[in-house]
Amino acid sequence: MNKTVVDFVWLIPLFPLLGYLITGLLNRKLSKNLAGLVACSALAASFIVALLIFLEENHTRASHTVVLFDWISSGNFHANFSFLVDPLSSIFLMIITGVGFLIHVYSTGYMKDDDGFRRFFSYLNLFIFFMLLLVLGDNYLIMFVGWEGVGLCSYLLIGFWFKNQAYNDAARKAFIMNRIGDLGFLLGIILIFSTFGSITFSEVFKQASGFGSNNTIIVGITLLLFVGAMGKSAQIPLYTWLPDAMAGPTPVSALIHAATMVTAGIYMIARSNVLYSLAPISMEVVAVIGLITALFAASIGIFQNDIKKVLAYSTVSQLGYMFLGLGVGAYTGAVFHVATHAFFKALLFLGSGSVIHAMSGEQDIRRMGGLKKYLPITHATFLIGTIAISGLPPLAGFFSKDEILAHAFGHNKFFWILGIVGSLMTCFYMFRLYYLTFHGKFRGTHDQEHHLHESPNSMTIPLIILAGLAIVGGFMGIPDVFMKDSHWLSHFLSPVVGPSYSGLSESQELTLMMISVALLIIVILATRNIFVTRGAIPAEEDVEISPIKKVVYNKYYVDEIYAATITKPLNWLSHQFNHIVESKLIDGIVNGIGTTVNKASNALRYVQTGHIGFYLFAMVLSIVLMLFVKFF
Amino acid sequence: MRELIHQAFQLKELLLLTGLGLIALLAEIFNFRKLLFPIILLGLAGVIATCVLDWKSPDGDRFFFSNMLNVNHYALGFTIVIALVSIFWFLMSEKYFTDETNLTDHFALVLFALVGAFLMVSYSNLVMLFLGIETLSIPLYVLVGSKKNDLASNESAFKYFLMGAFASGFLLFGITLIYGVSGSFDLVQIAAYVSKNPGAIPPLFYAGGLLMLVGMSFKVSAAPFHFWAPDVYQGAPTVITAFMATVVKTAAFGAFFRLFWVAFNQAGAEWSHIMWVMAAATLLIGNITAVFQRSVKRMLAYSSIAHAGFMFIAILAMSKTSGSAILYYACAYSLSSLTAFLVLYLLMQNRAGDDSIDSFNGLVKKNPLLAGSMTIALLSLSGIPPLAGFFAKYFIFVSAINQGFYWLVGIAILGSLIGVYYYFKIIIAMFFRSDSDNGPVTIPSDQKALLFVLSLLILILGLLPGVIINLL
Repeated sequence: MNKTVVDFVWLIPLFPLLGYLITGLLNRKLSKNLAGLVACSALAASFIVALLIFLEENHTRASHTVVLFDWISSGNFHANFSFLVDPLSSIFLMIITGVGFLIHVYSTGYMKDDDGFRRFFSYLNLFIFFMLLLVLGDNYLIMFVGWEGVGLCSYLLIGFWFKNQAYNDAARKAFIMNRIGDLGFLLGIILIFSTFGSITFSEVFKQASGFGSNNTIIVGITLLLFVGAMGKSAQIPLYTWLPDAMAGPTPVSALIHAATMVTAGIYMIARSNVLYSLAPISMEVVAVIGLITALFAASIGIFQNDIKKVLAYSTVSQLGYMFLGLGVGAYTGAVFHVATHAFFKALLFLGSGSVIHAMSGEQDIRRMGGLKKYLPITHATFLIGTIAISGLPPLAGFFSKDEILAHAFGHNKFFWILGIVGSLMTCFYMFRLYYLTFHGKFRGTHDQEHHLHESPNSMTIPLIILAGLAIVGGFMGIPDVFMKDSHWLSHFLSPVVGPSYSGLSESQELTLMMISVALLIIVILATRNIFVTRGAIPAEEDVEISPIKKVVYNKYYVDEIYAATITKPLNWLSHQFNHIVESKLIDGIVNGIGTTVNKASNALRYVQTGHIGFYLFAMVLSIVLMLFVKFF
Repeated sequence: MRELIHQAFQLKELLLLTGLGLIALLAEIFNFRKLLFPIILLGLAGVIATCVLDWKSPDGDRFFFSNMLNVNHYALGFTIVIALVSIFWFLMSEKYFTDETNLTDHFALVLFALVGAFLMVSYSNLVMLFLGIETLSIPLYVLVGSKKNDLASNESAFKYFLMGAFASGFLLFGITLIYGVSGSFDLVQIAAYVSKNPGAIPPLFYAGGLLMLVGMSFKVSAAPFHFWAPDVYQGAPTVITAFMATVVKTAAFGAFFRLFWVAFNQAGAEWSHIMWVMAAATLLIGNITAVFQRSVKRMLAYSSIAHAGFMFIAILAMSKTSGSAILYYACAYSLSSLTAFLVLYLLMQNRAGDDSIDSFNGLVKKNPLLAGSMTIALLSLSGIPPLAGFFAKYFIFVSAINQGFYWLVGIAILGSLIGVYYYFKIIIAMFFRSDSDNGPVTIPSDQKALLFVLSLLILILGLLPGVIINLL
């Protein structure tokens, strides 16, 4: 058989792994420049291979399994270490390596003065490695390894500045929340194995088609997998870690907590679309949770004053849209939104990073304002990102969001209405953020104003490229209304997720679009009126605000509710266990065993006398005993 | 005669090993000592290469010298492991031989011991077994005493020799009894005799089997025939101890298993209760006594006894997969143990020969590589996943559980728990004890590379156990 470029897919994760080993092991022995170069070139090399594979896939749209080696074989359990290359994974490869590369380049500028520069890049490379494993695995186990690996890297990077205890707590929170989801995922995998006797995608999906619709086991599997997705992709009720995760350096927020890792849940469900299509109940659950999350997070976003927190809630909300898309069967739309969201959200985060960089670490938008003239490139690109996420044509967000909403309308008109409400809120908080940051008068200290400067090229060039992608990214999926048969993405993904059909007539679809665009424009004008013309500034912490606003501002007190209902009882319980079971019962047993072993050891020691005569005597005695036992 | 020579040339592994031994002797006469070391490494690599080339699937008997040897996959697999570990061992101990003893003589002794090891893993006739054991043991008696001016070295050589001679006597006695009953030295013939005469085998046969069991147990240092091991291991020069604990132990278990697998497969049930007790005793005595040791060298000696107990289980719970389980265990244990001995040896050089646990205090700050490798080796020895030692134990336990030895596996798990305790004492000393007034720790760069490779191998072997476990 002729080898094609697809057979070299293992190179893609290999490069970042090598990058990790080099930057991680040599660490201080590398100069900062060299470490940055190694990490970036690892990503560049992966990107080139991914691009070649993508072009090949674009041509064939075939599904290849590349077996690397026999991984685990125990009893009737068998897992190959093999990679699956098909349109779905190849598009994720492109996003991860492409956006990943840009963010790596950006980080060389952003992290330039940080002491942990090399450590940072080794973690980033390691993260990319695991993320690639996650999307490349041809079975649930490899996916799980990648899943855990990215969780670990996320933990390490959120707590990157580990001298700050609050950051450590944020890292731990992310880790623990994810653990809950991971448990669901793991149980799902176990259930898959016990049902199908295999964990390989192709085998599982082949057998699954024999099950009827809404079969209890399939519903169970899909719901468990969704619990995993809830954790990793920050959906209600497991979303609270993501806003706190903003403690990490900004490029990390862009890469892990916006563009790639948090979309792992979407990937997993899109990959398992065969199972979900067999379980309409689960799909309904996914759609409803996604929709609630989208609305809930968007409403919190409206009153946040930390530039990154706004973006964080926006990410949670956008992820909700993706799940809504998955739930209503718009697999293509969800993947489409993953791609466009990766572009514009990475852009927005990196832009906010550039702002924070210029503001010497300030993140509160109440202290900003009027940055337009100081940061022209950041401003222009940020504006593009803002328009793209709000969903105005012809920027990327419009096409992907529209596709999801059109499917939602076809599924249930009520979903569509709520979706539009959420999208209007998104538009509002994004333009609020934009106006407060870049327009009006500068509200920071004198010192900060003095330091304001545009970021270096290493940071602005990735911004410009991402802005370009945020503008044109949507053209990979132009709906039929505008141009017949030009939905390239849908065509590309159809071998994996099937054809995408919203069930709407063209006139219906066009009407919906026009309604949403008209509403968006009204919201933008209103926002402009409030924050530019009237120059409103959000209230300071100590000012009395209306009770409803206060509840939303405090994120509906979800963290406090979790603390009261889960953390406190658990703490109490573990306190009891610690004092009664642990220190009295278990310690007693363990120490008892320890003392016994020590005593026995001390006693046995004396048998080893060193006298050869005794040794020989013991030998002969043993033989006599053995013969005696055998024959008498 | 022609046929014999022809066969000798067919069996390149043996030819290469013997040739290397002779070359080592000639090196003294013709004065090319400096070249000897590279030649030996190349030669051993050549042994591995020929084993790989001789590897023809499917597995089949390849008899040599009128059925004296059977170089099948089992023999080749063990030879590869022995040769590989020997290469690492030579890399580790070259300095000792150049600095402290006469290089060529001792290298020749080691190489002849390897010839013995090869015979022990590929014999098909009890005569060859005895010949192999003696060819292995006699050079060892000398090597143990190779520090001529060191009283402890002399004492342990004498002890080892005296007790070894005793054990050889029992082994020979056993062989004689077996021959007397079955009329053959050939493993296959003995097995055929057992299966042809069910219920009519005279007790002398079993007495012979038991005596052979005693002889083999002595070689692998299984209780209650282990008494020599701690004393000899501690008295011998550290590099020789490393050789005994790894290469020699691997060969001894290769021979032990082969004997019981081919010859006594049917008869084994007759003494399985005795072996059960021996396995349990070995596990408990090895692990429990190790706890109280302050000398790391002596602790590793007891740990070596404990690990013999694990492999002993595989011989007791004989099944199709036991061969590969033992091979994997021997390989994992040898690599981990060799790494531990290497670290100890390097550290002792920096500490004027002090091998107490205290000399490990705070090592991680002084020499992270040394501490890191030691940690990997000890974690592997205590059986922590994903290192090689974990899967080694796992495969043994699986085969034992499949045969219904639940209690024995329970004792073995208890043993490994105790093992964790004393292995972690060293890890704790390295990481958490503050260091006393000891000076800096420096090691040559070639040994750094060796440590790195060994640690990596332990990890790789643990991640890809299939490499070995699917061999046989």
